[in-house]
Amino acid sequence: MTILFATSTSFWVDQFVNGLTTGSLYALIALGYTMVYGVLQMINFAHGEVFMLGSFAGYGAMAAMGGSELDGAMIAVSILVALLAAMTASAATSVALERFAYRPLRNAPRLAPLISAIGASIFLQYLVLDRTSSEAKFYPNVFPDGSFGVEPFEIEYIQAFLIGSSLLMMVFLYLIIQKTKMGRAIRAVAESPSNASLMGVDVNRTIVNVFILGAAMAGVAGVLHGLFFQTIRGSMGFLPGIKAFTAAVLGGIGSVPGAVAGGFFLGMTETVGRELLNTIPGVDLPNQWRDVIAFSLLVLVLLFRPTGIFGEKVAKRA
Amino acid sequence: MRNKGISLKWMWLVALMALTALVAAACGDDDDGAGGGGGAVTYGKAGFTTITIDAGAPVKIGISSVLSGDLKGLGEPIANAAALAGEGKDIKGHKIEFVRKDDSCTAEGGASAAAQILQENVVAAVGPICSGGVVAAQTQYEAKGVSHVSPSSTAIKPTTPDRGQVFQTFFRVTYNDSIQGPAQATFAKDKLGAKTAYIVYDTDAYGAGLRDAFRAAFVKGGGKIVGSPEGFEKKATDFKSIVTNIQAAKPDLVYFAGFYAEATPFIKQLRAADKNVKFLAGDGVKNDEFTKGAGADAEGAYLSLPSPVLTGPAYEAFGTAYEKATGAKRDASPFVAESYDAATVIINALNKVAVDDGGKLKIDLKKLNEEIRKTDLNGASGKIKFDARGDNAGGATPVTLFVIKDGKYAEQK
Repeated sequence: MTILFATSTSFWVDQFVNGLTTGSLYALIALGYTMVYGVLQMINFAHGEVFMLGSFAGYGAMAAMGGSELDGAMIAVSILVALLAAMTASAATSVALERFAYRPLRNAPRLAPLISAIGASIFLQYLVLDRTSSEAKFYPNVFPDGSFGVEPFEIEYIQAFLIGSSLLMMVFLYLIIQKTKMGRAIRAVAESPSNASLMGVDVNRTIVNVFILGAAMAGVAGVLHGLFFQTIRGSMGFLPGIKAFTAAVLGGIGSVPGAVAGGFFLGMTETVGRELLNTIPGVDLPNQWRDVIAFSLLVLVLLFRPTGIFGEKVAKRA
Repeated sequence: MRNKGISLKWMWLVALMALTALVAAACGDDDDGAGGGGGAVTYGKAGFTTITIDAGAPVKIGISSVLSGDLKGLGEPIANAAALAGEGKDIKGHKIEFVRKDDSCTAEGGASAAAQILQENVVAAVGPICSGGVVAAQTQYEAKGVSHVSPSSTAIKPTTPDRGQVFQTFFRVTYNDSIQGPAQATFAKDKLGAKTAYIVYDTDAYGAGLRDAFRAAFVKGGGKIVGSPEGFEKKATDFKSIVTNIQAAKPDLVYFAGFYAEATPFIKQLRAADKNVKFLAGDGVKNDEFTKGAGADAEGAYLSLPSPVLTGPAYEAFGTAYEKATGAKRDASPFVAESYDAATVIINALNKVAVDDGGKLKIDLKKLNEEIRKTDLNGASGKIKFDARGDNAGGATPVTLFVIKDGKYAEQK
């Protein structure tokens, strides 16, 4: 039935942009999963909550500055402050998680830190739900409605901003990892913690840096999510967390470009992928199929490339 | 060896595709199960026992409601209202104690809250408050013979003839969606002039049930459903893709079957793309949390409740007591009067069947069940009488429609 109206160009452009939007959020969060896995071979399941706390910190900063009362340049300033506040809060949470929930278990069997992560995730989620009385908070609607571009190739301002800033953050992270001393240390620890430490790399310090970088990305994603969807609540980290984790696995967990590719791939599959399938005569998949499609693809990719799209390192190690 | 590995891969692929096809075939056929049933019913075997309460010990009544998470704003007032009904009352000298358990408004939550409540030797329970939880918990209550009265489960499923079993221990105060769905459809066609509707629904028993009831009635009345009904899971925030589909389908009306936690982000994203399409939803959305959260985007939204506009001395008395006890407004969230009545029904029946046995109290759960079914109460939420399936057959079953104006719910005639 969908096929009857799903034929105009602007429909496809819109769905494509929706896919990019969702995908860039997944990618930003997935970076945190993949980097931590890269150095510790552990899944930081509390990462979705780090994203949620970033979103709340950003909300707090914007509300403190006047929220929807702001206009003109102050809007830009408040978004910037919100991003900084979110990155700081997320990084602080992540560092605390590493220090108290993961580091004591670093040499324990692999299952122990995983369970600790799940526990931390539930703790943080319910802490925020309790503090907010389970009520939703609402980001001020500061972005002007409307879009730019030439019909039918239009993109909403907020979506352009979201995709643009996500890409910017990814480039920024790439430069840190590839061009700085800190980045070199991270790559060395990912290769082999013991060898890196013999070469004089402070392994603990480097691991903390990894958590900070991943959390900063999640914090930015939190603010962007808030600005775009406006509604935030204590339970908001769960779904994006699971999806971003999936994206990281899809791309090859441990691989930074893999997380980005996996994020966009998943976002696209959920939106454009479903509509493409719907153009097949007789096929009519409503929204609830998006996860079925996404996860079937995950199974297919892993069946033929068990290490994910970019993940070669893991295979070598295992 | 290597060759074998590859062929195994292909076998997996084939198996996966076969499985997908099976799932698709199984899910595809979910058409209308609407329509309640009258007539004689045969109950299964309920595990009725007699509960003895020691001298000085309280009589325990369970409350299964959503007490944390996104829908706390729906469930906490309901739990408070139920507890209020026991305030200052006793059963032949024994105090009433409420055992509150969180059912998260989900199927899993309903089942686990039921297990916790039933462990506590309760004689009856209020809830579960959400239909998904009711459907998942009914067999447990039935097995223990513990009657439970839901104030707010509106899905058809708990009492439908298609359910395979009629549950003797289930009752509900509110009217089911075989009344709300068609009333919404009539309103959409006659009052809103909608010829086409686009359906978005929560995939739980409540959302899917309301979807079917509305769709059947709307189509029967000559309306057309455009696009496929789009489902979402609880906690969803990203509705962008659905909104794009709605824009392409250009319906007169968007019909939302779900709860306010998801309706809030949904309507914000809908209004960012389309200011004019009409929006209609049911009792799960009619909550002050919705107007507060969606703000200007909620203006002009239509909501329905499966109850009359509550008035009368019983409602006033309840409202005053409720506001004094909880500090919350009586109409801030739905089903509080129904919940008060659900607990009252249980307490009244208890008073009739509890037998004093030298300080101890003996309660025959079968008699309690029969006594609850005999209920004839002019409660805060209206007349309450149960039919054989546990539905409220109290009489007039109007559905009230509201429109949001200046951030407030105004009755829409």
